[in-house]
Amino acid sequence: MGKLTGKKLLLLGERDGVPGPAMEACLKDSGAEIVFSVTECFV
Amino acid sequence: MDLQNQQRIKDAADKYGSENLVVVLGSSDAEGAEIYAETVANGDPTFAGPLAGVQLGLAVYDIFEDDIRSEADEAAWEENLSMMEMVLDTEGLCVAVKSMRDEFSRFSI
Repeated sequence: MGKLTGKKLLLLGERDGVPGPAMEACLKDSGAEIVFSVTECFV
Repeated sequence: MDLQNQQRIKDAADKYGSENLVVVLGSSDAEGAEIYAETVANGDPTFAGPLAGVQLGLAVYDIFEDDIRSEADEAAWEENLSMMEMVLDTEGLCVAVKSMRDEFSRFSI
């Protein structure tokens, strides 16, 4: 069982860092539920 | 942090319980990552948003920390994150987020 199994994930991405969808792709099979995923940008 | 996202985090904590949440950050710089981590663990340091004075104590990690990386899908990581891993100061990001977590988080994975 993974460390994230049963957890709820909140993914706070950043446009100039790692965007939300990229983190989502990596963690969607981690056993955790992704509650929401966003990408903030500072301009 | 965006005020709308602060509200979403607060709502998620109310709905699921702070102990069940894990926040993963994909910030581009250590300073920003530190503020995000502080916000979800100890409240909004600018006192502008819904998390002002709200100490959720959430478990918060940078995407590049080993605890998170080890749980990620390897192929998806290679495709989506390997490039940014080379460009960003991942060590600085991880140290910044860990320092806030050690100081303010009540939960960890």
